[in-house]
Amino acid sequence: MRDVTILGIESSCDETAAAIVRNGQQVLSNLIYSQIDIHRQFGGVVPEVASRKHVETIALVVDQAFKEAALNYSDIDAVAVTNRPGLIGALLVGLSFAKAFAYALGKPLIAVNHLQGHIYSNFLEHPEIEFPAVCLVVSGGHTSLLLMTSPGDYEEIGSTRDDAAGEAFDKVARFLGLGYPGGPAVQKAAEKGQAGVITLPRVFLDRNDYEFSFSGLKTAAMNQWRKIEQGQPGTVYDMAAEFQAALVEVLVEKTISAANQYSARNILIAGGVAANQELRNLMKKRGKEIGVSVYYPSLQLCTDNAAMIAGNAYYSYQKGDFSPLDINAHASLMSW
Amino acid sequence: MRILAIDSATPVAGVALVDENKVLCEEWVNYKKTHSQTLMPMVDQVLSRCDCTVSDLQAIAVTIGPGSFTGLRIGLAAAKGLALATSKPLITISTLEVLAHNVCYSSCLVGALLDARKQEVYAAFYDVQSAYPQILSEETACSPAAVTAMAHDLMSQHNRDKLILLGDGAEPYEQYFMQEFGDDLLPLPMQYKLPRAACLGSLAVQKYKRQEFEDVFSLRPVYLRLSEAQTRLGIGEI
Ligand SMILES: [Zn+2]
Repeated sequence: MRDVTILGIESSCDETAAAIVRNGQQVLSNLIYSQIDIHRQFGGVVPEVASRKHVETIALVVDQAFKEAALNYSDIDAVAVTNRPGLIGALLVGLSFAKAFAYALGKPLIAVNHLQGHIYSNFLEHPEIEFPAVCLVVSGGHTSLLLMTSPGDYEEIGSTRDDAAGEAFDKVARFLGLGYPGGPAVQKAAEKGQAGVITLPRVFLDRNDYEFSFSGLKTAAMNQWRKIEQGQPGTVYDMAAEFQAALVEVLVEKTISAANQYSARNILIAGGVAANQELRNLMKKRGKEIGVSVYYPSLQLCTDNAAMIAGNAYYSYQKGDFSPLDINAHASLMSW
Repeated sequence: MRILAIDSATPVAGVALVDENKVLCEEWVNYKKTHSQTLMPMVDQVLSRCDCTVSDLQAIAVTIGPGSFTGLRIGLAAAKGLALATSKPLITISTLEVLAHNVCYSSCLVGALLDARKQEVYAAFYDVQSAYPQILSEETACSPAAVTAMAHDLMSQHNRDKLILLGDGAEPYEQYFMQEFGDDLLPLPMQYKLPRAACLGSLAVQKYKRQEFEDVFSLRPVYLRLSEAQTRLGIGEI
């Protein structure tokens, strides 16, 4: 079969990214311009600032992706771009650029769901993944459990009722004074502490479904921390360790019981929080205990990147599923 | 010489194809704000009606601001995409200058005003005694009262007794400006009040002749304002 080479563009949050992927597998280039140093001074991603940086750098990042892949613009077969979910102003930059770039080259446009892209990161590195697979998507904006019965076929079986897991990490890191972004900051602090010294609830773990809630955990942590600040014994390290353990345990146990119920062959973790070492370790351990292999992307592919967008678009390309010039961007997930 | 002109800086979206001294086609819509959906289909319509592709163009022109932050970025991102893919030069024109180009060969002072929210407008004043507008004041974000003061100053300084205000920034304060300037403020027919892609194209032809092009890799919109977060924390240009 003929090779299919796809340019991917991703600008849903604070990374301007472009990548070129061949046949949904071979990453020819994967460029990420991160704005994290800019947003750190604001203590979080500022949507207007992110959008401004995206429009400034997008042409450079795309051009660089071609240079690294040693390809001409006309060598690609399609342009893939994230159109949902994410910061709407940020998404619109990537989408508007992608539409124009594809149109000028006379190539088809493929709009990609960012979260499907995160899941696809696993397939970029592990083509051997088997179905059905249970997939835990955990990021700053989303926490969902999905059943994947075949490539590109997703059914949501549970999601968060309030905060996303990554959001909870950010909020807790903020009031513990651990800095931004919260996930890596809490993980680092937790290494110096011990879970169980302070006790926090495993919210919703007793429920017989796949729903999550992290706002209650965050509030419980906040109340405990206030007591510690008023003189009760406890360290920031023990607090970070217990918070991480409480959050990770719920994520892992719900995923494991879904894998059991649906007789999953594999478990996949995806999204920014998939970089959390505690989550990776515990999932791997529990997966082994029930005889299901666990996959997660390498750290480099856990962050927002465009290789996952170009990779996921290969499914659509094969089906001839292209997007019209009037397609819009959406802040929300819309549908899987 | 063919130039494609793209404008989505205000609630208006416009696309025009101009030749050296001819407007070949213009699409213009001032109905709902869905530039992300309408702009590229408009580009396609304008080009295909004129049996033209992006590769046939000599340059891409875009309004660079001021205007709606999101609208500016949709236009600039599209212009960059077209220009990069085909290695065509990129030309930028101020949204206020495009507005001012709705009037020419007039001794009136022309003020171009765009809605900047927060009780402010983006404003600049122009001399339009020749075919092309000459700017008289710096582009700024200011209150309607400051616009009035500027207009009075410039009218006495340049010896003008009549004033024309155009743009969607003039509309909400129409009553106020009428009180301030009385009969010296000349009302314009509606078709001249908002930015036209054909006017952008006309100004772009002039810049093309002077070979004044922009760098597709570093170009950013002219916002005239920092983001709210930057202002709040006292962080300057990033
Ligand atoms: Zn993401």
